[in-house]
Amino acid sequence: MKLKMTLLAASLIVSMTGTAKADDPSKLNDLEIAHVAYVADVIDIRYAHLALAISSNPDIHEFAKTMIRDHEAVNEQALALLGKLNAQPQDNFLSQSLQKGAEELITEMSQLRGDAFDKRYAENELAYHKAVNNLVETAFIPNIENAEVKSLFEAGLEIFKAHESHAEMMVKKVN
Amino acid sequence: MQRRHFLQTSVAALAVTGSSSAIHATTKTPAHHDITISRFKFVPDTLDVRIGDTITWLNKDIAPHTATANDDSWTTDELGKKQSQTLTITTEMSGKYYCVYHPHMKAKLIITS
Repeated sequence: MKLKMTLLAASLIVSMTGTAKADDPSKLNDLEIAHVAYVADVIDIRYAHLALAISSNPDIHEFAKTMIRDHEAVNEQALALLGKLNAQPQDNFLSQSLQKGAEELITEMSQLRGDAFDKRYAENELAYHKAVNNLVETAFIPNIENAEVKSLFEAGLEIFKAHESHAEMMVKKVN
Repeated sequence: MQRRHFLQTSVAALAVTGSSSAIHATTKTPAHHDITISRFKFVPDTLDVRIGDTITWLNKDIAPHTATANDDSWTTDELGKKQSQTLTITTEMSGKYYCVYHPHMKAKLIITS
């Protein structure tokens, strides 16, 4: 069941990113997982900056500012931990897939204005957090070997689940 | 002996101020309360307090939070990880508050007499 969910999350991210590569995210090592998480955080920060630039909806602005604030806080902790462990995150297929998908989506969303942008942004935030949370919960946390890294991911998951709930509220507001 | 001393003190306070609330004032010292912000929750989420008590909000999450009145009449301002803020309870602090960054985080202060 867990494997099924993991593959589902991975395939959702792969389909969101338009990549058909069938690598297994549960096989990533700690440093590759850290890289994926860092990239996923940076992507959501980029979406948020786009929302601040395009949207005029105050609710979208507040949500986007929260995404920037929280994801930056998580990345700050992640970099501090990697520094303490004297480790460098390792690029991998999933990070690259996420980045490719993000570039495509940013290009698409940049063309939208008004309600169309707000809806696309909110819906993507919900889908993105759902997919990443599923991946973190079912593929990453069970396979992380370092206890401190695992603990940081568990704390991060709490935050991103809160974001998922918040995104659900946003989707309802803009529809 | 102690009880007699308490009664004498209370009666003396009543005599000076002429009000029963003065007895309360002389017998109740302000209390201190701690509220932890952890896993996107205020713990405890409901707290009985008195005017003059103090509350310290401590954020144990990585994400920054605030404790802010629903009507914006008071706030701790932003609390980063392991940061805390102490406020003294005033009348207008009675009621609901939340985190402005994560609006689903809700809690309540009940002011008792």
